[in-house]
Amino acid sequence: MEAASISAHATGHDEHEHHGPPPANHSSRVEAPLLGMLIFIISEVMVFGAFFTAYFFIRVAQGDPWPAVGTHLPVEVAGVNTAILVSSSLTLHWAQTSIKNGNRFGLKAGILTTFLLGCTFLFVQINEYANIGFAPQDAAQQTIFYSLTGLHGAHVFIGLLLLLFVTIRSFRGHYSPESHRGVEVPGIYWHFVDIMWIVVYTTVYVL
Amino acid sequence: MLNPLRSESEAFRLLLYVVAFFAVLIATVLIARAVF
Repeated sequence: MEAASISAHATGHDEHEHHGPPPANHSSRVEAPLLGMLIFIISEVMVFGAFFTAYFFIRVAQGDPWPAVGTHLPVEVAGVNTAILVSSSLTLHWAQTSIKNGNRFGLKAGILTTFLLGCTFLFVQINEYANIGFAPQDAAQQTIFYSLTGLHGAHVFIGLLLLLFVTIRSFRGHYSPESHRGVEVPGIYWHFVDIMWIVVYTTVYVL
Repeated sequence: MLNPLRSESEAFRLLLYVVAFFAVLIATVLIARAVF
């Protein structure tokens, strides 16, 4: 054993030689999972920006009425849905704070509640589409309405998939006060999705 | 300095700021529409 160790030192290799590609070079001071989410969210802001450009073009540059004549947007139902989504961020923050303090019940209850509130939001959104009374191809305003809310809905769906993984892992005993990056990174994404909805709700439904 | 992408807590804080900002904006616009 000692001879093997001496031999490893002599050849410049460790006893357990590394197999596969060399480890990634970490030149950034930001951790890789956070850096990845940061770049992803910046690209997402640009995607939403493109859709908002179309919205403002129709409404401001073109001067078309919003919503289109003869249509009505369910502002109150969407308002309740907004409250549901903001509540889901509160429960997510509760889950994150709980695991930081070693409270496993808080983590599980918070993350499960967040997931269920997110599902409720998406269900109400789909129900709204089914009963709203106009289709995307009816007019430019309707196209933009479905595009903006649909783009956001797709993000909620992705967020729910992430939350589902976090929920399952939480119930299987993963995460600890020292290691909870798996809750933190989807949490940042979920808050981003909430922030985008506040902007979408204000511009599309209220103003 | 606030960096909402650094941690979940800071992202949550940004969300609260955004909610407060848009609540004030909506209230201002609705009041302005009612008055003028």
